[in-house]
Parts: sequence; C-alpha cells; structure tokens
Amino acid sequence: MSLATKTPAESAAVPEDDQRRAWAAVFALARFEARDLLRYIPVLVTLVLYVGYAAWTLFHQHDGMDAFPALQDADRATQAGPLLLGIALFVCVNRCTLRSRKRGTDRQFDVLVMEPWRRTVAHVLSVTPFAAVTALVVLGEFTRQALRAGAVGHGSPAELAVGPLYVLLCGAFGVLLARLVPSTFAAPVGVIGLFVLSVFVSAGTNDAEWTRWLPPIVGEDGGNTVLPSDLIGRPAAWHALYLTGLILLLALCAVLASGGRTLSLKAGAAGALALTLAGAVGQAGGASPELTAAREQASVAPHRDQSCVRRGGSTYCAFPEWSVRAGDWAGVVDRVQSLAGGTAARQPLLVRQRVEARYGLGGDSAIDPLTTPYQVTVGTRWGGNRVPEFAVGVAYVLVAGDESKGGELCDGRVVTAMWLALGGDPHPMADLANVRLDDSVTGSAYVLAPTSGLSMTAGQTDVVRELLHRPRGEVTASVRRHWTELTAPGVSTARVARVLGTEVPKGAKDCAEE
Amino acid sequence: MTATVSASGLHLRYGGTRALDDVSLRLTPGVTGLLGPNGAGKTTLLRVLATAVPADRGSFTVLGHDPGSSHGRQEVRRSLGYLPQSPGLQPDFSAFEFVDYVAILKELSDRTARHREVRRVLEEVDLGDVRAKRIKKLSGGMRQRVALAAALVGDPGFLVLDEPTVGLDPEQRMRFRELIAQAGEGRTVLLSTHQTEDVAMLCHRVLVMARGRILFEGTPAELTARAAGRVWSSTERAPGAKAGWRTGTGSFRNVGDPPAGADLLEPTLEDGYLLTLDDVDAEVATA
Repeated sequence: MSLATKTPAESAAVPEDDQRRAWAAVFALARFEARDLLRYIPVLVTLVLYVGYAAWTLFHQHDGMDAFPALQDADRATQAGPLLLGIALFVCVNRCTLRSRKRGTDRQFDVLVMEPWRRTVAHVLSVTPFAAVTALVVLGEFTRQALRAGAVGHGSPAELAVGPLYVLLCGAFGVLLARLVPSTFAAPVGVIGLFVLSVFVSAGTNDAEWTRWLPPIVGEDGGNTVLPSDLIGRPAAWHALYLTGLILLLALCAVLASGGRTLSLKAGAAGALALTLAGAVGQAGGASPELTAAREQASVAPHRDQSCVRRGGSTYCAFPEWSVRAGDWAGVVDRVQSLAGGTAARQPLLVRQRVEARYGLGGDSAIDPLTTPYQVTVGTRWGGNRVPEFAVGVAYVLVAGDESKGGELCDGRVVTAMWLALGGDPHPMADLANVRLDDSVTGSAYVLAPTSGLSMTAGQTDVVRELLHRPRGEVTASVRRHWTELTAPGVSTARVARVLGTEVPKGAKDCAEE
Repeated sequence: MTATVSASGLHLRYGGTRALDDVSLRLTPGVTGLLGPNGAGKTTLLRVLATAVPADRGSFTVLGHDPGSSHGRQEVRRSLGYLPQSPGLQPDFSAFEFVDYVAILKELSDRTARHREVRRVLEEVDLGDVRAKRIKKLSGGMRQRVALAAALVGDPGFLVLDEPTVGLDPEQRMRFRELIAQAGEGRTVLLSTHQTEDVAMLCHRVLVMARGRILFEGTPAELTARAAGRVWSSTERAPGAKAGWRTGTGSFRNVGDPPAGADLLEPTLEDGYLLTLDDVDAEVATA
C-alpha cells in the first residue's frame, strides 16, 4: 500500500489499452456534446440558415453574371457564409464547457475516469462536425460554380479552407474562454469586445497589411474587379497556416488550462505558437515587387500575357483563363456587325480583354478607352449587363472608329450606335434599361460600356425606343441604306430620325446644339 | 471477510482544522454506515476515498487498486460510484442523457453497450418509464434516483453515498433504502448519513466519526450494545442524563449513567451513537 498524498509518485507507464479506451471515450463525449450543441437555438438557427441558403443557391439556376463565375472569386465568396454560425458556436460551446460548473456537477465528474483535460479536448472536438458540414457546404458551393458552363479561372484550396477553419477557431476560442473566465457572460461580451478591438486596431494602424490579415475572414472591400488568378495576391496559404496554428494554439491552451500539463502538450502549444507566428508573418508581407510588376504589365500591356484567336474576321485576345470566352464575345460582335452597313459590316475588329490590376482586388478604377482604331475593350466580367454593355462598346467603335472618341459621340450617331447594340438583342427593351445607369427607357441617361460610355438625350432615347419596337429587318435595311449619312460626324438626331422614318423628337437637342 | 477497501493513517488538514486525523478503516462487501455529527469529517473522508481530494498522509486501496499512481487512481475511479451530498444535475438533459453522459465520462465508449447499461440502471432505480423526461420536470426524489443511477452506471464495485436521503419525504426515503440495500448486494457501499434509522435498517457495519477520527467500528448491534444499561425511563428529566426527552407516553427517556434502581429500557442504535459521541466529548473535556 503506498501513499495517496498530494504529491503522488505518478506512474509514467500507462497501459495502451487504457489510452485507447480513454480516447474512444473522448470521441464519444465529443459526439454527445456536438448533439447537445444542436439543442442551442442560435446554433440550430444559424446552421439551418447557412445550409438552407447554400442548398437553395445550389439548386437555383442563376442568370446574368452569376452564370459566368470566376473561380478565383468564387472560392473567396464561400468564406462569409458561416460567419454567424461561427459566432453562435463560439457562444454556445462556451456555455457547454461551463455547463458542468454552472450546474454543480463538477464534484461528481471530477472523480470519474475521464480527466478534465480530456473533457476539454472533447469540447473542442465537438465543433468538428460543424466544421465538416461547413466544408461540405463550401465544397458544394464551389463545385456548383465550377460546373457552370461559363465558369473560368482557378480556385484556391487555401481560400476554400478558411470557412471550416473559422468554425473550428470559434469553437476552440469558446472553450479556451470558458477555461480562463468561468462565466457565461464572457462569450457575448467577448464577441462585442473582439469587434470593437478589431475596429480600433484597424483604425490605429491605418488598415496596415499585418492587421488586415489578423481576423479569420478577410474580405476585399470596395472592389468590383475580377483579376486573373496570378494577380490576386492574397496570401491565402499563409492565412490558412495562421488559422491552423491559431486553432491548435487556442485548443492546446484550453487543455493546458484544464490541467493537462504534460510535456508533449506544452511542446505542442509551443509548436502551434510557432505556426501561428509563421503564418502571421507570411501573410503580412503585402504585394511582392514581382506581383506589382505583373499587375502593372497586365494593366498597361496586357498583350504580353494574352493569347489571341481569330473568329470570323475579328481577333479576340484574352488572358489565359478567359480564352474560352472568345466565342461569347464573337457572338456579340457578329450580332452587332450584322446590323451595320458600309465597311463597318465587314470591318475586322480586335477585341482586347483589359483589366485595371494595379490597385489589386480593392481597386475600382475605370479602364481608359483604347485609341487604336477598331479595337474594342472587353472586361473580365461577363453575363448580365456586361453583355449589352460590351455590345454598346462594339457598336460605338463601329460607328465612331475608336473608343477614345467618347466626346464626339453625342450627336445623332448615338441613335445608330444604340440600334446596332440592341437591335439584334433578344430582349432589346430590357437591355436598353440595363445599360442605362438609371435603368430607365425614357428621358436622358448615361449608357455604360466597358470603357467610356455615352450620353443619350431624351430625344435620342425616344428614337431608339421607337426603332426597337419596329420590325428589325425594316430598320436594318434603312440603316444599311443610309449608313454613311447616319455615321457622319455631326449628324443631328432629328436628321437620323427622319432618315430612319421615326417621329422627329420635339425640341431634340444634340450635344453640338446645346 | 476480506476487506475490499482499506485505509491506513489518513491525515488531512484544512488550514488549522484537522479534517482527518489518523483515519484507518476496513470495508467489506455490503453496506457500511458512516455516522457522525456535522463537521465530523465524513464528507472529507468520502471525498478522499473517492479520489476527489488527496490526503496529506496515509494510504488506501480500493478493490486492490492503489490511487498513489496515475494509473492506480484511474483504476480506483473505474471501480467507483460516487453520489455526493446535493449532487448536481443537468436540468435540460433527460434522465437517460444525463446517465449516458456520466457513463461516457466513466469511459464506457461502446454506444450500444453503454445505452444498454444506462437503461439497466434506470430500470434498477425505477426510472425506466420516465427516462426520456427532462430532469427539470422530475420530482426531488426522482432526481435523487437519477443521481444514484449515475453513480451505479458501469456497475462499480465501490459505491460512496453521501447523505443520499436528505430532503426526501418518508415514502421516498423508504424507496431509497430499498435501492441502497439492493445496491449493496455484491458490492461495497459506504453510506454517510445522519439518519441512525438508515444505518439500523441497511448496514451490516457502522463507523462513527467525530473531530476527524473514527470513534467506533463494528456492527450496528455492537454500537447499540454500547448503550445497554444506560437508557432508562423516569417521570422527570433525570439530572444526570446526557440526554433526555419526553416521549409520547408522557414519561422521560434518559440516556447516560442511570441512578441505582432506574427503570432500564431497551437501547437503540441512536442511543449507542449518542453515548459514543458523548464519551469522546468527555475525553476531550478531560484532556
């Protein structure tokens, strides 16, 4: 009989069977705790909303730009979905971890076979099924996008991993908080505190790169730009490493705080800290000189990165990930040219894909018009309004000669250009509204195009609207017959209306007359 | 009979208080009662034997396992069922879930076998019909039985019960006695209680504890015998009595040293317990 004192001589040798049994029980407890988490309304509601919304989007046929996703953006788009689920798990895992203390069952449970530190491990593991569900949802969302006929680009596994890692991080943090501050109020206060802290840190450091990447989910604000994968410049792999290290660090700290102070756990915590720091340093580097140079080149000299194909009489140059889209562009060009007259009907065009990459994903600056005759800009987004906008750009070049003559195209030629852009469109009136900034089909408005758009007066709008309501063949014949007059610089809208046989708008004033 | 639980020279101090003062004991299969006044050290002894707190000095074994090593402590815990005074429960769990939860913490990881065992103990404590009910919807007696079921799950060889009948109405207490007696069949049960009736009805052995020490270890009959010739009846409260009270018949029942020619009465276990405590008080006063 040996002493059972406060400093017992611990036996180092623990039978393997005991270990196996102990870990089997930890996993059983983790399953129990995971089931119990589902009883918490915040977890249940956010999970149902997250999965339900994802399922709805999965089976719902998207039109417009959604049908032409860029996968280098689609991967990042999966990260915000589990945001609320993570917060709910953080609060509820914290409550589950504190349950025993709150209900006074510690006294019974402390003399049971499973040690408190193993119970902590089980609490951390209880979030794993939710992370697995998140991973499935993320995979489903991304696969659905990748399987769309119009999908282009490449996704990043590291970006896709952020959602599930975020869920695990929330769980580990909730457990650690419970072990450090044994109060159920700590978690809600912690959520608010973290939000306030992130605002202050962001403001205090002027949104520096190293602080920008500290939160688990890092969105890109303000930008509407789709960049080629190589130019994205997000340190996604470093960030995934940072999150992985942080999860392990928080989980191991929680285990250490629960009394599991073995050497291997301490070493594991030190290793996790090293991982976290390595990830944090790696992700804080910002854009490398090579990336900056590549972005500059893609913005000012895209031809160096692009390959071109000929379709019909025209040439289509695209960044490698978009080369499959040349057919869509050619369809629009052919449709617009089929309505044109004179040499414009057979004029070879060079359609050049262009992007403003110098400001990264956050940039939202307009692309300057091309000055070379019969070159047309097409952006990196496609589908929806981008299609008629491109048609406007093509029509504009066929009528005016090049993109840079934006100021000149405010006379009667606007009518011709808009007819070319929309006349062959299956839904011309809808697209007339779509390309106008205010979505109107009456009055004056600004018309969008890939580079500089054009302004339509109320009178020009009236004429275009009337043309779009008339039989296409009849208008096309008139346009072809009077092509030279209709595209002559300075031709008035009233003259164009008379030539095309529409009602002459009253008091119509073109730019030259104003 | 071979001892299943034995302790030797257990000492434990809380600040300046000797909670356990050289406690040695030997428990055998069956129910052993642990009697003592408040502050006697009963709960501390139970917590030490349940490995909830380590003793400063001394040693003990439970079913051959020595809690001095980590492995030994785990083995003791594997053999242990512990029902503390005012046990905590999870009110939002059903009775089944709570006992299942405890079973997992006892490392019963095979789901099918565990659920079978949980159903068995719930049947054993007569809660089979309400096992799906939330604990918060159960009566006080039922809750106490849930706690007992949690202590019994895994069929522990050593059951430690700390005042399990406190707060129960007489009917519930009787039901609980049945359960404890049933639990004592084939296992070692240490039952701490203030109720001498519980000990008289349930226990084959009894320990009396005061001031952190074991004052008596023997059978209930031996404890009762300590009061033989020291209980008497009188019309007035006897001045020399250690304790005396008017009974329902109007006469006084006195415990202590009777005067010559006193009308002696049959002693009870409670009389023996009171006199054992009184003897130690007298020793302390003399010292």
